[in-house]
Amino acid sequence: MAAALSIPLARWADRRIEVLADETAAAAIAALDGTTLLGERGSNGGYRVPGHVSAGIGGSRLMPTRDGGWFALTLIRKEDRELLPALFADAGLATDDDAAIAAAVLRNDCAGLVARGRSLGLPVASADEIPASAPVEVLARGPRRDRPADHVPLVVDLSAIWAGPLAGHLLWLAGADVVKVESPSRPDLIRRDDPATFDIINQGKASALVDLDCEAEREALVALIRRADFVIESSRPRALRHFGIDADALVRETLGLVWLTVTGHGARGEPAHWTGIGNDCGVAGGLSRALADAAGEIGYVGDAIADPLTGITAALEGWRAHARGEACRIGFAMSAIVASALDEERTFDPLLLEAELRAWAAAVGELFPAVPRRRLAAPVRDLGADTGRYLASLARC
Amino acid sequence: MKPGTRLKSAACDTEVMVIRAADGTIECGGAPMGEAKPDEAAPLSADFSAGTLMGKRYVDTDGKYELLCVKPGKGSLSVDGVALVVKDAKPLPASD
Repeated sequence: MAAALSIPLARWADRRIEVLADETAAAAIAALDGTTLLGERGSNGGYRVPGHVSAGIGGSRLMPTRDGGWFALTLIRKEDRELLPALFADAGLATDDDAAIAAAVLRNDCAGLVARGRSLGLPVASADEIPASAPVEVLARGPRRDRPADHVPLVVDLSAIWAGPLAGHLLWLAGADVVKVESPSRPDLIRRDDPATFDIINQGKASALVDLDCEAEREALVALIRRADFVIESSRPRALRHFGIDADALVRETLGLVWLTVTGHGARGEPAHWTGIGNDCGVAGGLSRALADAAGEIGYVGDAIADPLTGITAALEGWRAHARGEACRIGFAMSAIVASALDEERTFDPLLLEAELRAWAAAVGELFPAVPRRRLAAPVRDLGADTGRYLASLARC
Repeated sequence: MKPGTRLKSAACDTEVMVIRAADGTIECGGAPMGEAKPDEAAPLSADFSAGTLMGKRYVDTDGKYELLCVKPGKGSLSVDGVALVVKDAKPLPASD
């Protein structure tokens, strides 16, 4: 008998959530499960189990290459399509034509496309790559802070889309005071494009608007960070440095500050320049290859699966660092987190994992596993509604 | 110049990937760029020494040229003596 449809790696998430619920003693986290966190966007959005095109808006595609590999390319910005002639060294490429893009992929070898795509800053992956970084890595350490037992941690959430905001959401469920900070030039577009998901993972967070292009506002943000317990961010490391925010220095100087850095493929060296988002990072983590090995047909597993796996990991590791009291900056590489979850699942119950992957491949085109829609337990604040409350000294540009 | 060509500065560490180009001369630090690094470095022109930033895309006003910086350096980019400017980055949309 075929296994019922579930999202592979949901049981990995179940185990992490159980530990997080235990360590935070938060009933609201104990009430969650992996299927909900991995599948609520897909279930609420009526997503269907994907094949070679990712679930939902279908921004990521798996395409065969000349040397028999599979190349994942995510194209969700118009600006990224402008890079395709350079990716394929073909000035005449019809950049809006998916068939022409697939034909160009088939004329190239996989590793070359991945290398060039990453130089270009495109979110790309090979189904057969080995993640370049450790899944969880301490990047800097700082002084400890002893807190009273009733201390309510302050979280400055600078992250966007799904992984980072989910980590902030779990810390909020654990009782933290979370302020989501957005910049007018780089807002979290999920607020506009997928409000149902935005509301679930950003409910209860205060909202502050800070113009990072303005020095006075940036200084006010740094002052807020200096009194915070957590920072969550998911920008490429060079973007923060460009704005004059030195995460390592702030961690070295700020008692007990836990800084969570979410990246696609790593925060150090060459991989720090690569981009990666949920679906292509799932491919880079080996999940699509695992699907092909188990079921004979390659495809995307889950919905941007690297995002929720990473958000859960970041919340748990961040909470533990906070409990230790020592300041530290921890990097979370999405592709490597997928690979390590897959590894653990293969060790934990290889037969069940294989059955789940086969059931997933057999269900292409069917609706995502249904999970009950979570009811909001707190209001969703309007963009910038709480700027004054958190950044009282803010001098606008 | 073919899209995807990687060009090196003769005057500094800058390297770019060609996204789009016409027949003009692509320069960095005031000196023509090439696929190979010259044996002897060219002097860095004071007029083209504002520096390049990793990951930034540089364009001309006519939209004929676009270069992506894949390695930063001290020189700044130009085509036939006319400086290129940074193209603003766009945030990622909500979903993929």
